[in-house]
Amino acid sequence: MTRQNINRFALTLVGVVAFGLPLVLRSPTYLHILILLYLYAYFTTSWNLVGGFAGVLPLGHAAFVGIGAYTSTILSLQYGVSPWLGMIVGGILAAIAGVLIGLPTFKMRGAYFALATIAFSEGIRVMVENIDYLGPFKLNGPSGFQIPPKNIGLVNYMFIGKEPYYYIVLVMLIGVLAFTYFISRSKLGYYLNAGGEEPEAAMALGINVARAKLIAMAMSSFLTALAGTFYAQFTLYIHPKSVISLDLSFEIAFIALIGGRGSIAGPVLGALLLRPVSDFSRIYFGATLPGLHLIIFGTVLVLVMIYQPRGLQEPLTRAYNRLLDKIIGQTAQGKVRHEYS
Amino acid sequence: MNILEIKNLVKDFGGLRAVDTLSLSIEKGQILGLIGPNGAGKSTAFNCIAGVYPPTGGEIYFAGEKINRRKPWDLCKKGLARTFQIVKPFSSKSVLYNVMVGSFATTDKTAVAEEKALKVLKLLYFEDKKDERAGNLTIGERKRLEIARALATEPKILLLDEVMAGLRPAEVDEMVQIIQKLRDQGITIFVIEHIMRAIMALSDRIVVIHFGKKIAEGSPQEVASDENVIKAYLGDEYVVS
Ligand SMILES: Nc1ncnc2c1ncn2[C@@H]1O[C@H](COP(=O)(O)OP(=O)(O)O)[C@@H](O)[C@H]1O
Ligand SMILES: [Mg+2]
Repeated sequence: MTRQNINRFALTLVGVVAFGLPLVLRSPTYLHILILLYLYAYFTTSWNLVGGFAGVLPLGHAAFVGIGAYTSTILSLQYGVSPWLGMIVGGILAAIAGVLIGLPTFKMRGAYFALATIAFSEGIRVMVENIDYLGPFKLNGPSGFQIPPKNIGLVNYMFIGKEPYYYIVLVMLIGVLAFTYFISRSKLGYYLNAGGEEPEAAMALGINVARAKLIAMAMSSFLTALAGTFYAQFTLYIHPKSVISLDLSFEIAFIALIGGRGSIAGPVLGALLLRPVSDFSRIYFGATLPGLHLIIFGTVLVLVMIYQPRGLQEPLTRAYNRLLDKIIGQTAQGKVRHEYS
Repeated sequence: MNILEIKNLVKDFGGLRAVDTLSLSIEKGQILGLIGPNGAGKSTAFNCIAGVYPPTGGEIYFAGEKINRRKPWDLCKKGLARTFQIVKPFSSKSVLYNVMVGSFATTDKTAVAEEKALKVLKLLYFEDKKDERAGNLTIGERKRLEIARALATEPKILLLDEVMAGLRPAEVDEMVQIIQKLRDQGITIFVIEHIMRAIMALSDRIVVIHFGKKIAEGSPQEVASDENVIKAYLGDEYVVS
């Protein structure tokens, strides 16, 4: 058995389990939790294109979730456009917004960039809360939109049970992971990593660092907005505080930092670890201690940054590789070399 | 033909004139040495040429084209590559990854970039370190990585800023050989160096600057016996043979 075969086998196994889970797991509550888990893994993987590869720390990605959710919802409620189409329009609008936000902010470093992205997304939230009409489009201020469950079916991106949503978000997650994998091995991936780590050296090697970051930002905000539409169709209720909230932006960053940003497995791992904390603290302490999950995240983040600054992804990858070595060692009894990539 | 020509280059940092009406030119295929005491303005001159700082005054021509306000990445794509005196490796990545970043200057394909990077590593006797994390390299290896990355962009001219500082004597000799090998492949070399033995052995011509101004220019022998140079820079402890 080779390393590649084992990897393939493990991936297939995970895939089979993920696709088969709804057949075994009938509880809507657990399905709901899993759907949110995948959704956050998706959000964080999209965020990772900028926040991980490009080495900056965006803290306003909820703005793109909001743009996606609002665009498809407004187009479908007010113009009868299918949310699938609205989703693409929302993605494009979010990409434009991402570039506009990135243009002035990518020149800033560290905390300044993070603060600027917070300011932009908070600005968008406050505007949406205070505007009833944007041109011909009704935004409905702070109350947002209830999406009436009429015309249920695939075309209208609306389903009765949780299973269809489960499969949609699962496919989206697999798609965005595959996309990230592809980018990380492409010229753009090398350029983003180089520009994030040593911008001056990167520029001297022919990289227009600002441009690479803008491209990543456009892709990241586009992909994030697609999941905004999913969120709207899944919950059938959106308002500024739910989809354009700092809470959401922070949770994405927490998941990335704790899981390990800049890696492909990091965001998924982070979501696997943190989403249950989030859900259970909301279920059991939602009334008494509503912000508890963020405090737990903060504590975990401090510990992870001290002991595993590259995220939990690193020790787990190492453990996995050691396990593989053992398996291969037993079957082939040969010497195994570790490789960096 | 002059591949690089600088006319009356001036660079001010606030009230400090780091480079003062400096003129020089390099012929294609030459090795030009640039020497001068610490703080003479050598690295600043490099940074102006490579597009990091816009010059305060004067003109810079590369292959006949004025490049005064060109961006570093454009210049690199045109064939002007440089190393940094203070090395800047992508520390969390492997040596191969670092060099591949350079290779992408002339290709969009990852497989081609890898192939080119491996060739460069071979040329620099650096293949055995290809999977090493750049952050784990010794100073000598980091300097070599700087050269490898720059070389991977397939430059016409290579600006080397003190790539031998901190190397052991044996490593210096190897570096001299490597630089000569690059020149033999047709790459023009503009080199800043403090190690006299190396710069004397390498350079076709040497320019000496002091307080940003050129104080001497000529063959290594001419420069070494120039009175101004000995006074301003070499001091008494250097004996030229
Ligand atoms: N970015 C900068 N800002 C201000 N002063 C600088 C800067 N870079 C270099 N200098 C100053 O310019 C002078 C020349 O420096 P430098 O070109 O690094 O010298 P060299 O490479 O010859 O040792 C020094 O006095 C240095 O302090
Ligand atoms: Mg210097």
